[in-house]
Order: sequence, then C-alpha cells, then structure tokens
Amino acid sequence: MDRRDALAKMFGAKGVRVNTNRGEAYYEKLRRTMEKRLNELRQTPAATKMDIQKALDAEGLSRRDFMKWASAITAMLMLPASFTPLVAEAAELMNRVPVIWIELQDCAGNSEAILRSDSPTIDELILETIDLEFNETLMAAAGYQAEAHLDEAMKTFKDKYLCVVEGSVPVGVGKEWCTIGAKGETFEEHLLRVAGDSAAVVAVGTCATFGGVPAAAPNPTGAVGVQDIVKGKPIINIPACPANPANITGTIIHFVLTGQIPELDHLNRPKFAFGYRIHDNCERRAHFDAGEFVEEWGDEGAQNNWCLYKMGCKGPMTFNNCSIVRYNSGTNWPIGAGHGCIGCSEPQFWDKYAYERPMADAHIKAPTGGVEKSVDQFGLGLLTAAGVGIAIHAAVSATAGKKDEE
Amino acid sequence: MKAGYKKVKRMTTFMRINHWVVAICMVAAVITGLYIGHPYYQTLIAEPAVDKYVMAWNRWVHLMAAIIFDVSSIVIAYLYFFSRFEKPILKLLPTPKNIVEFFAVFLNLITFNRVKKFDSSHADSFNTVYFLIFHLLLVWMLFTGLQLYVQGLESGHSSIGDWWPALLHWATDWTVAFTGGTNMDVRYWHHMSMYFIIVWVMFHIYYQVWRTIYWQEGDIAIAFGGSKFAKEK
Repeated sequence: MDRRDALAKMFGAKGVRVNTNRGEAYYEKLRRTMEKRLNELRQTPAATKMDIQKALDAEGLSRRDFMKWASAITAMLMLPASFTPLVAEAAELMNRVPVIWIELQDCAGNSEAILRSDSPTIDELILETIDLEFNETLMAAAGYQAEAHLDEAMKTFKDKYLCVVEGSVPVGVGKEWCTIGAKGETFEEHLLRVAGDSAAVVAVGTCATFGGVPAAAPNPTGAVGVQDIVKGKPIINIPACPANPANITGTIIHFVLTGQIPELDHLNRPKFAFGYRIHDNCERRAHFDAGEFVEEWGDEGAQNNWCLYKMGCKGPMTFNNCSIVRYNSGTNWPIGAGHGCIGCSEPQFWDKYAYERPMADAHIKAPTGGVEKSVDQFGLGLLTAAGVGIAIHAAVSATAGKKDEE
Repeated sequence: MKAGYKKVKRMTTFMRINHWVVAICMVAAVITGLYIGHPYYQTLIAEPAVDKYVMAWNRWVHLMAAIIFDVSSIVIAYLYFFSRFEKPILKLLPTPKNIVEFFAVFLNLITFNRVKKFDSSHADSFNTVYFLIFHLLLVWMLFTGLQLYVQGLESGHSSIGDWWPALLHWATDWTVAFTGGTNMDVRYWHHMSMYFIIVWVMFHIYYQVWRTIYWQEGDIAIAFGGSKFAKEK
C-alpha cells in the first residue's frame, strides 16, 4: 500500500468514496460468489408462474432490449461489463426471491411510481416478476384471509424473504390510531413482526427511511423511519419521494446476485445510487457557474433553462442519482421539467429543503426558538444590537468618559 | 519622542502581515459568501455565449480566502503556544493574576476609562480572550466550510490526491450530526456564524479606536507600525 492509500485508509470515513475499480482479484471472488448464489437459486422452485421472458413478450420487448437494460444495470451497480450475463440471469431468477412488501404511514407513492405507467420499463417489469408474497395495495385478499397469507409466507420463507417497507412508523402519542389488519396491530408491531423473520429490510421512499413528510414539524404522530425501530437486521435505505424504481430494482438485483446488501453510505443508502451529488451531474450546472439564474417562474432565464438555485433548488446539498438516471426510464426529472430539486432523498427534507427559496432565505427557526426568522433577519438584528451597544458606549464615553492626559 | 513616553513593541512584522491578510480575506469571504448563499446581482450583463463564470469566480475567491484563513489559523494556533514574541496562552490561563487583569480591563471599558488599574503597555487578558473568541469562530467556520466543500468531492478524488477529501471527511463529518443531522444544517450554521464574526469585527474596530482616543497611547498604530507608546511611570 503506498502512502496515499495508507492515509486514505486511516482517515477514510464510512461513506466517503465511490470505488468503481477494485481490481481483478476482487471481481473474480465476487463472480464466484454470484455464480454459487445463482446456482442455488436455480435449484429452488419458482414461486410464481410469471417470469421476465413472459413479461417482455407481453410488452413486445425483445431480448435485445432486455440485454441493453442488463448492461445499464451492470454499469449502475458499478460492476465490470463482463458481469452483464450474470445480471441478466439474476433478473430471470427474480421469481425465486420472496418479497413481502408492507405499507405503513404513507401515500403509496412509491408503489404508484412503479405501477402507474402506461408503458412499463424493464425496471418495472422486473418488479412485476418478483415473488411478491404480500402487498396491501395490490392483493385481492383482505382481513383474516390476508393475515393468514402473510403468516404462511413468513413461515415458509423464514429468514429468506426481503421485507420491503413503504411509509413511516408512528411511535408518538396516538400511535394506536394507525393499526392494520383484522387484529388491530399497530404499525410498529406489524413492522417488527414482519422484519423480524426477514433476511434483510429494504426501506423504500423517504417516509420509510427518515420519516419523510409524516415526520415533518410538528410531527403529530411521532413518525420515524424503519432504521429507528428495527434493530439487528441489515437495513437498506432507498429514499427519495418517490424512490426511483431503477434504484429499487438495482438493490434487489444486487441481493439476488450476492445474497448480500450493497455497499452503503453513512445513511445506509446504496452508494451506487446515492454516492453522487445532484448538483455535480446537473445539465444546468454551467448556468450556475456562469451566475445565470431563473429569477421568477416563466422569466427569460426559465425559458433558457438557466440554473434554478435562486428558485430554491437544493441540488447542491442533495445526494441522489436522479441527474444521471432520471425518472420514468430516463424520460425526465424535476430540474429538466423546470423546477428545482427539493432534496427529497435527504433526512428532514420537508422542513429543511423543500422550499422555493435559496438557502440564505430559509425560514428556519432561530436558535432562540419560537419566532421564525431567517438567518439574515436574525443576523441583521444581531448587527444592529451590536451597533447600538457600540454607539451608546461611544456616546457615553464622549460625554462622561475620561481621556487620559497626554 | 515626547518626554514621559516610551515606545513599546506590540506586534511583530509577521503578526501585522497576518492581521491584514486575514482582514482582507474576511471582507472577501463575506462579500462572496453572501453571493453564494443568495446570488444578489444578476448576470444579464452579456450575451449568453460569453465566458463569464460569475458564480465560479465568486466561489473561487471565497474558497481562496477560506484556505488562506485556514492556513493562517493553523499558524496562529501554533503561535498561541510557541510564539517567541508573546505567547497568548499565558494570558488565557485562568490564573488569579489573569482573572484580576481581565476584570480590571473590562471595568475600564464600562466605566468609560474613569477607572484604569492595569498596565496598558503589554497585551492584556481581556483583549486576548476576545481574540480567542475570534479564533474559535474561525475554526468553526473552517470545519463547517470544509464539510460543505467536501460534499462536492464525492468521487473521492481531488487535484492533489485522494487523501485530501478523505482527510476532510474524517475531520469534518461530525459537523453534520453536531448541527442537526442534515447538510442544510451545516450551511445554516456556516451562514449564521458569519454574522457573529461581523459583530466581533465591529466591536474589535470600535474598541481599538476607543482605546486610541481615551488612552492617548496611539494603540491604533499597532496594526500598522507594530508599536504604541506607553506613559513612563
């Protein structure tokens, strides 16, 4: 190890570096792990009759489309191109990985983002072929019947299924208002029970990861994220509002491939998706550097696709891959549509990011609490107070002070 | 020299150069920092296809000022303990002598120089404590500023090597948790602390001018010529 590596190792905090080249030995070992894992999966019976080939045929997509998608996902997962066949194979074996998807305090926006498109992308088709054992939004069963199915799935696939969670967990006063199922389980009990027997927990969307919108001030239900409740299980956070289907697929494929969770940053987000800052890959970045900003909606700058920083874009503080992957199969994303980023993949985003003003105009509570003041108003007040103090001292010095004799 | 006065050296050449470099950096950092926080002038001053880089230049000046500030802070931190001229640390230790001197100088200020019971020919505890507050504010700006800076080096690479962003993460990641848990909180405190520094500067300038007027020892000349005049006992 040379000196630079030694220093980097010594000071390298978790979540620092997105390492895209780990050397041949590493990838060779990884390939063997993956091949072993995929062989094991192939031996197990498919849990659903749906597979990716059928889904592709139904949508009129060719094998070539599928392989193009597989190479894109390989690149997104930061694997060398030679891993593409493995990724494709993993996608074909998706119907052997049981998933239990539970829904807590949320708007079902993440499910909707995956389901509600008139031309589904391959990412979305992949999620259709997974062995989805339980999902409140989609399934026909209700009440005791649904409960019985959940219990059976949990028993059959104990310690093997992925527990996907959508929505925050209310733990404050009144948490008993949020119950689910015929037995009236609270959301917290429901989550702990289902997560308890899972192989890993995937928190999808900002509500499930950090509490999201339900946790915004004054947080009436005491909403928190999954990682605040579930302990002793691997947890993967895929925030954003809604979470990008590409990132959900990528994470699940990674799990199928390796049986392990992907490399995570300090907020337990997969580095392959959240290792980049929106600002640094933004198509409007050049206008930021040039100082060309949209001043109001629909003005000259807006018509010329200038930087949205002055309209409150939070791209400079937000880590996510939307500026690269975009949404709806690369169709567009918020900044492309002319609205700034609201930092939806960061903790406490509703209170601290989601406003249409630059940071310096943020109306965040002053340290004294109570009155809402912007930093600049507070600072100007501080300067005025200091100025007044100085003026009084100067005036009294001039009238009542004693000047030393020469 | 006027009879009854003696010349006393109060700042070395290096200290004076540092003082003015820091002063210029501070003004530059405030002007450009306010622009970065909220671009307050529009750049509709040329045709689009012109090499203007207004924000880029503001950030360049801001970061340059900051790094000079940072290096200066490290040198000053060293001089606190090892200066061959005056070691400020000796005036900061809470010894009975220092505490008495601190309150004697403070009393002089709030009695408008009607009471003056200390030796004004050398650095006093009150002013040294006041400088310490400034240096602590600068260190705080250093940590929060470098955290904001390293957010843009997410590749883990920099022009001077991978050790630099790694070091910055190691040294400054705590500021995110410390200020409230989000990147936005770090920006908020970095911005807020600027006002505390401006307030500090306001009183600093006032106090040095006030001393010059009321003590009649030429204190304001220290920052320029390095010396003042003290009455001989």
